[in-house]
Amino acid sequence: MVSKVLVANRGEIACRILRACREAGLQSVAIYAENDTKSLFVELADQAILLQGDSITATYLNQEQILEIAATTGCDAVHPGFGFLSERADFARAVTQAGIQWIGPSPSAIERMGDKMTARKTMRDAGVPVIPGEEIEEEDENEALIAIQQASTRVGYPLLLKASSGGGGKGMRAVERPEDLVEAAQSARREALAAFGDGRVYLERMLTGSKHVEIQILADRHGRTIHLGERECSVQRRHQKVFEEAPCATMTEEIRSAMGKAAVAAAMAVHYEGAGTVEFLLAPTGEFFFLEMNTRIQVEHPVTELVTGVDIVREQLRIAAGEPMSCGDLNLRGHAIEVRLYAEDASNNFLPAIGPLAVFRPPEGPGIRLDTGVRQGDDVTPNYDPMLAKLIVWAPSRVEALQRMRRALDEFVVLGTITNLRFLRELCDVPDVIEGSTDTTMIDRLWPNGWSASIPVELEDGALMAAAVSESSGLHHQSPSNAQGTEQSGPLSPFMTLNRRYP
Amino acid sequence: MLHQFRTAQGDIEVTVAKQGDVWHLGEHQAIVEDDGRLSIHLSNGMKGYATTAKVGDVWWVHFEGHTFCLERIEPGASQSGDGGGLIAPMPGKVLEVFVEIGQSVEAGETLMVLEAMKMEHRILASNSGEITGVHFAAGEQVQQGSVLLEMVEDEA
Repeated sequence: MVSKVLVANRGEIACRILRACREAGLQSVAIYAENDTKSLFVELADQAILLQGDSITATYLNQEQILEIAATTGCDAVHPGFGFLSERADFARAVTQAGIQWIGPSPSAIERMGDKMTARKTMRDAGVPVIPGEEIEEEDENEALIAIQQASTRVGYPLLLKASSGGGGKGMRAVERPEDLVEAAQSARREALAAFGDGRVYLERMLTGSKHVEIQILADRHGRTIHLGERECSVQRRHQKVFEEAPCATMTEEIRSAMGKAAVAAAMAVHYEGAGTVEFLLAPTGEFFFLEMNTRIQVEHPVTELVTGVDIVREQLRIAAGEPMSCGDLNLRGHAIEVRLYAEDASNNFLPAIGPLAVFRPPEGPGIRLDTGVRQGDDVTPNYDPMLAKLIVWAPSRVEALQRMRRALDEFVVLGTITNLRFLRELCDVPDVIEGSTDTTMIDRLWPNGWSASIPVELEDGALMAAAVSESSGLHHQSPSNAQGTEQSGPLSPFMTLNRRYP
Repeated sequence: MLHQFRTAQGDIEVTVAKQGDVWHLGEHQAIVEDDGRLSIHLSNGMKGYATTAKVGDVWWVHFEGHTFCLERIEPGASQSGDGGGLIAPMPGKVLEVFVEIGQSVEAGETLMVLEAMKMEHRILASNSGEITGVHFAAGEQVQQGSVLLEMVEDEA
């Protein structure tokens, strides 16, 4: 039984889960740090409890405090979302031991998949192909660096250094040449230590020209483990996904079936329960290799929901309550694309930006879904991840989905904070994207010296006129920007002007 | 009415005049709609709606799928002729400093590494030049807008 769910997360994914709870008729509790007092997700919960403390560690990562709130509010389940404590086996264990249902897989499944080195070994044993590479067991900095150097000669260049506790591109470095190895390894270890409290890294051959393809799986306690087809998330910058779609444009029924079987085998190898994602690299040859398994709901789950008709978060709630999953035989229908709207300056190495959301007006119309945790008037602060929203479109075909995405991005208005909107819009016109021949190195290959917007001159005239007329008409006196925002002096990053290319 | 804006191409003067409900900028026309958006009709026949918002001194404009930031220069304001100051884009911590005063650097060279939002950010030289100021050391916290480094860029 699950009747009251504590959502141990914030922002967009907390909104997604809280809405699912509302739809399922479950009571919900949000927890929030003081700087989130006015955030949207706090409003969407039946009950919202303020977390004591200032830092992320003292609030959203504070297991004891969160458990205490779950107990005092009478919650019988905890949904961790993604990020934060979602892949912390010790937290899953503590929740379970408190007699509260963890909405996710068992602590041991999280452990075996969460430590990337252990996962590689588990998958090898389960007969799932892994990327050629080597685990580095040494914990001491100097010993590890020596071991990394020795392993690098066997793995070969170019190679990737990855944090064993890593995710989201943190603690990951691509190394092209031997002379860059030591600096990259030190930097990766330092970033991993800061982000995950674990500096261990391992090496993998960099498989260039590969696609990042992942399989969504669902497993319940009634003996069913199924896959919901694939998502392609090859378009990445700094190893973080920006453009995701389902199905993969170049997928064949044969590869989908083989990859699906491997994903189900991977899940069953760790007695998986709930929703999870098995990530693979798909080489141009059709060979695929296990990358990692994410033992949680994933950012890009909506594209799978749109093409399968399955509400994955709702299924998570159902499975955690001990019920069988509700979906029957699956058919993939149409095509879905998601883009991640980040507060970042795409023309300056994707540097995160902050500022007020003076105007935030998402697109509307057929086939459009917006998952976000912000609304007009909010401030984008440096406290949390710079992802503002996920814009997802569905259409009967891939061509039409891209057309719909272009239209939607053109309609999307965000003023007051620099975003990657225009970058996302231009991505939709890139021949590789149109053909579906994207791979994980596409952004670096297309824009080796960085991206910059190409702006038609007549539009600049129109913009200048709009600004001059707005000023003359006193429109700023009715601007919806909030008081805090108006104190800031505009486009935040001076790097923007330093790096901008002149036409 | 005359306004001055700072753009990437330099400072631009814009004079708009109102006749009835219609604003004119040369051959371009604009009307302020009831909802605060602007209906724009460019001389080349292009039509569209612009959404604007002012934050500080900057007018943000969305027009035809593009977003513009135009800093309005207040009449009589003195021009801040800042040279090659490299400014912290957000609060964070300095992880490493790779340069010292007097050092010559090439365009694209890493000058400093900052940690903000749990990610490392490299501060790169946008042009070749000479470092004339280093204001922070590794381990120090920086506020948004802090001048991190100063450099004199080489003549093109």
